[in-house]
Amino acid sequence: MRNIETAELPGTLFVQAQNCRGCRSCQLACSFAKHGVFNPGKSMIVLERNLADDRTAPMIKPIGCDLCGGDPACAKACKYGAILYEAGPGRQKIVVRLLGKEGS
Amino acid sequence: MKRPTTWIVRVDLSTGVVERTPVEDALNRTYLGGCGVGWRLMADALAPGIDPLSPENVICINPGVLVGTLTPGTPKTTVITKFATIASDDGKHFIGACTTGGRYLGIALKRAGCHHLLITGKAPRPSYLRICDQSIELVDASDYWGRGIEDVTIDLVEREGPESGTIVIGTSGENLVRQALTIVDRTNSLGRGGLGAIMGAKNLKAIVVNGTGDVEVADSEAFIRASEAMRDAVMQWPRREHWIDLGLAAGWDTFKHTQYPGIWPKERWDELYGEKTRMETVEDVIGCNSCILGCRLRWQTKGGEFDGEVGFGSPFSKSATSGMLLGIEDFRKMIHFVADANSRTGIDFYTTTRMIDFVTKMYEIGRLTKEQTGGLELSRTYETYQKLYELTVNREGFGAVLADGWMRLKRDFGLDPQEYWYAGICKGVDFIYDARPSSLHPLMMTFTTRPRPHHGGSHTRTNSRNKTIEEIREQVERWGLLKETIDRIFTESDYSGKFNVGRYTRYMEDMMRVKNAVGLCTIYTYQGLLFGDDIARLYTAASGHEMTALGMAQAGERISNLAKVLNVREGFSRVDDAIPEVWFRPMESPEGRIEMEDYYHTKVLTKQDTDRILDDYYEERGWDLQTGQPTASRLEGLGLKEFVAEATS
Repeated sequence: MRNIETAELPGTLFVQAQNCRGCRSCQLACSFAKHGVFNPGKSMIVLERNLADDRTAPMIKPIGCDLCGGDPACAKACKYGAILYEAGPGRQKIVVRLLGKEGS
Repeated sequence: MKRPTTWIVRVDLSTGVVERTPVEDALNRTYLGGCGVGWRLMADALAPGIDPLSPENVICINPGVLVGTLTPGTPKTTVITKFATIASDDGKHFIGACTTGGRYLGIALKRAGCHHLLITGKAPRPSYLRICDQSIELVDASDYWGRGIEDVTIDLVEREGPESGTIVIGTSGENLVRQALTIVDRTNSLGRGGLGAIMGAKNLKAIVVNGTGDVEVADSEAFIRASEAMRDAVMQWPRREHWIDLGLAAGWDTFKHTQYPGIWPKERWDELYGEKTRMETVEDVIGCNSCILGCRLRWQTKGGEFDGEVGFGSPFSKSATSGMLLGIEDFRKMIHFVADANSRTGIDFYTTTRMIDFVTKMYEIGRLTKEQTGGLELSRTYETYQKLYELTVNREGFGAVLADGWMRLKRDFGLDPQEYWYAGICKGVDFIYDARPSSLHPLMMTFTTRPRPHHGGSHTRTNSRNKTIEEIREQVERWGLLKETIDRIFTESDYSGKFNVGRYTRYMEDMMRVKNAVGLCTIYTYQGLLFGDDIARLYTAASGHEMTALGMAQAGERISNLAKVLNVREGFSRVDDAIPEVWFRPMESPEGRIEMEDYYHTKVLTKQDTDRILDDYYEERGWDLQTGQPTASRLEGLGLKEFVAEATS
């Protein structure tokens, strides 16, 4: 596995939390890409669950994610536009921007 | 390639004993896994003739084979039990299967290694079942008893963690109301026909599941290749964008014709309950796990006395039909009933509102007296409806009669459910659609031929109106059925129209067994997005059992037959599959007379026609035409020889 502290990563993941439908495809795709099994607990994504309205939001763990070497499984698996990937060579680290309803 | 190990977990609530055994490979191959294996386990676990509300009843919970993997949409868990509904004059109860999706439950069961969870006995006090991998225990729930579903679910998730899968009953389940169901993960309902009462009778307020294990597939590479190709293909569906915006609120334009109760003019219904009311109430669409066509809703009422009320699931179709039946013009008032049923009481909205419709009308015309209602005056007002709803939930006074369902009304007051004017009733369960506005499409047939009269994952292309014969045929062909079978299905007749609904229904039910065994949501087959060959490809890669579409359909047939055998030994036969009488009574509506017709609306169907359709169904099954029960030769052909004696005696 790459050392993400120093590795030159090939792009940026963006999280658009308001688009998340809670289907957990990102978690399943991530654990499969990393470990060859389906297990949300082994994925790099925590799905936050707000019990007030039961909305969910994917949070990507910054340590350990190597963007699957430039073709991140989570972004590919998310069909609702909650996790997006932008290739951009030369970036030094993962930038996760949370673009929720309030924006950031 | 290593086949994933699957487990049977047996929990006896009376003694607290938990047993865990692996499923034999041969059993998985024969019954596909999931609820297919579940049915086989129930054949041994469930003694014939028991009271569904007794400790002897078994709740058998089976997440599908593909649940917890990345697919286009396989979130389904199927529960098999002996249902609480009184299904006949002589007090029989059917053994059936109900299904649910959800974001958490199915995955959690798989990760905890509970591929088949069989719950028997009765907890000594109000409890919830807490499953965390191999740690399974009963936890005191006396502080939850008497509280609503939403309230308890939130508390449980806070206590047990955000990924907890939950099945929770409301107050109606605690009070053993026979039309009490359960709510899964806040968003999905489970168990029309009384699963809530069965849990209540076991002192089981909830089941909470967490797991940390892996969900594995036998051939990872083949699986992910097939799955990703299918996900990409589903994304090409031209209606997807509209669908994921509105979810279960989509489709009013079809709904208003197919589920029309015939009291108001359609234009009026449009105004009161139409697309506009849906658009202003829907907040978000929620996806079940792995689903890329999310359809469950988060909604909020705006304006009126229930301003700000929020809920999950889908309140629209239910509130629109029952709203017209009960003459309630403000849709918010009906949505409030749905919200309360889902979040607090857990009572089945359809059955409850329709029984209320029936008894208040019967009271109005003098067929039910004040003496019979225990001194309660009934009127056709919202206040009376609310009162009857509460009495039923609490099993109080006249509500105790309603809480036993349609057959009790017949037994106590001679009010025959076959007199009811909408949808139809079979085996003590009211249908959610009516074959007069809908036509006698195959799903309507399955309501009468299935052991449990509800759709439970049966939908195919034929659920949409006006599909071409080619579209219907393609779906059947891709299940790999033999040419002579397909020719029989698509032989035109003067009693069934362009295709034979009876023969088609047999295969539709077998496909349903397969979909439920693998956990595939029926929306994908209903919309023609996934086919039998797709399912076989995913199943083969996941399970490691080489299987063609036809092989899966044949396993589906085996499961259908076994399900029937379990019901035959309870005494069910062809008389119990009777077509509801109301379908033969023309609906006189402001839009004109509406009669039951064939799928393509070429002719009005008579009792003689439906008898022939039913004959064809049994014949296609290889069952006895007189009794409607499996024959020895068919059972032997399916490898079910051991059941011949009890199915044919």
